[in-house]
Amino acid sequence: MTPGTSSAPVVRFAAVTKNYRVGDTLVRALRGVNLEVRAGELIALTGPSGSGKSTLLNLCGLIDAPDEGAREIAGRPVNGCSEAQLTSMRREKIGFIFQNFNLVPVMSAYDNVEYPLLLLGTPAAERRARVQEALERVGLGGLAARLPDALSGGQRQRVAIARALVKSPALVIADEPTGNLDSTTAAQIIELLRELTHERGAAAVVATHDERMTQHCDRVVRLVDGAVQ
Amino acid sequence: MKWLLFAWKNVLRNRRRSLMALGITAVGTAAVLVGGGFAIFTYDTLREVSARDTGHVILAERNFFGGDEDLPMQNGLADSDALAQRLRGLPGVRAVLPRLQFSGLISNGDKSAVFIGNGVVPETDFRVRGVQTGFVEGEPFAAGTAVPEVAIGKELAKLMKAKVGSSLTLLATTTEGSLNAVDVIVRGVISVGAPEIDRRLVLTDVAAVQKLLLTDKVSTLSVYLKDTADTDAFAARLAAEHPQLALRTWFDLALFYQSVRALYDRIFGMLGAIMLVIVLFAMMNTLGMAVAERTREIGTLRAIGTQPAEIVRNFVLEGVAIGGAGALAGMAIALGVTVFLTFSGIQMPAPPGRSVGYPLLIHFDAGLYALTGLAVVAVSTFAAYLASAKAARKPITEALAHV
Repeated sequence: MTPGTSSAPVVRFAAVTKNYRVGDTLVRALRGVNLEVRAGELIALTGPSGSGKSTLLNLCGLIDAPDEGAREIAGRPVNGCSEAQLTSMRREKIGFIFQNFNLVPVMSAYDNVEYPLLLLGTPAAERRARVQEALERVGLGGLAARLPDALSGGQRQRVAIARALVKSPALVIADEPTGNLDSTTAAQIIELLRELTHERGAAAVVATHDERMTQHCDRVVRLVDGAVQ
Repeated sequence: MKWLLFAWKNVLRNRRRSLMALGITAVGTAAVLVGGGFAIFTYDTLREVSARDTGHVILAERNFFGGDEDLPMQNGLADSDALAQRLRGLPGVRAVLPRLQFSGLISNGDKSAVFIGNGVVPETDFRVRGVQTGFVEGEPFAAGTAVPEVAIGKELAKLMKAKVGSSLTLLATTTEGSLNAVDVIVRGVISVGAPEIDRRLVLTDVAAVQKLLLTDKVSTLSVYLKDTADTDAFAARLAAEHPQLALRTWFDLALFYQSVRALYDRIFGMLGAIMLVIVLFAMMNTLGMAVAERTREIGTLRAIGTQPAEIVRNFVLEGVAIGGAGALAGMAIALGVTVFLTFSGIQMPAPPGRSVGYPLLIHFDAGLYALTGLAVVAVSTFAAYLASAKAARKPITEALAHV
């Protein structure tokens, strides 16, 4: 699938505001942000440190709540949803990729990728097929039994990408996915992420400082002082 | 199954810490099982001793238990032979033994002492009570001899300077209020293990005592059952069939058993409670550290769609794995101790008020093992819940930022 303006928005933010209180100081992390991301679209969130990238990413990933404004994820308004409902939405609709990979160290690559499918109650045979397919797609078909500690940084991030995409989510959230990788590996990871999100029709929101990353994205959203420029 | 495997892998993540918690759980479990097994052995032994001493169900005239008598045998049981015969025909009855309690003075011609006597049917009584007769010298006496034969307590024998074959005189008040005396021959010296009783005890033929007291009554009929567990049901049946009689079970009369049981229940109950608290703290410490170390992992799992209850479940499974393995190890230790003590022959010192010790044995009780195992697993589950519930509900952004 290629990104297109005709597809329904997977992410729709309207006038989203988020403030934090640090001691007695009020930090205005996001100021009336409007954002739409459509299926198959890979967008980069850029901006200096403290610009609100992580906050916006957390709000997109439903792991934080705004103070004001409306959010829709995969066509569903999420304002007023309970924590359990938000967790279910994350389970079904959202895949996460973290800068530090955040794999479970006692689980093999296979087990890490299988975990989201276990949460979804996917039947064992289908699980096996989908995990194997996801690992092969990221080039780790032969390393399924390895623990994260026995994998290189690039391989770990590939496992994390496979974990995020194995359930075919509507939205992928990636926080500095190339931040801990050398340039060659980072380029491979960027290309893989782009291919997979387009291929599976997933919208992807990537927070990054990495110029190489932004070049491969369909759109770049720049944040400065909590507002979209 | 996947979740259990996942939990087990996490248990092995920090082996030394898990092993420490498992070891504490195992020792706690073993302590409860060994202590509880010893208590159950003691209860079982005392129960059988008490039941063999008094009989399982004791029947008497309505005012016998606790009633004051103006004259001996005023509250005695008349027509006991017919009643005993009827009772012997009931299912589950092993024997029915008449007993006649009396007291008076015993004399060797030079000095006298107070005795507390029991008239029994010697052949049947010694057979039913078996090893409890406790002969330290001589042998069981016979019934119907020309000169009545007696067995006397060890301390009383010393006091009377009596040996097997010695002649003594029993002096008692008859049912008519006069004094009567009978010469007897010592056939045996016995000890029940309690010096206070051994200083007063006289056993002789019930017929000889009836002749001495000028009565045909007996004090009680002791009904011995084939199975002690049937006592309450049998007693209830007898009470319904013989409302005119007073009835007690062995338990009612076993004051020593009751006080030991009350004491041990408290001691071993407290021991069990302390052990469970130690297990709780050990598990909370182990799992609390695991939770703290894995806060970011918890945040990750929450972010990808794990419900807080599922996070708690994962830690509970780890608690169950450590607690279950510890409980099994504790059971193995307790079984080892049980087998060792069975063959070691180690003796416990004599309890207060007793002159003989008893073997230190541990009773294996499947119910106790099951209950202890369940309690340990339940405590481990509770500890895991306490350790993880708060972390599972921590805001995901905070958990992910945890260092």
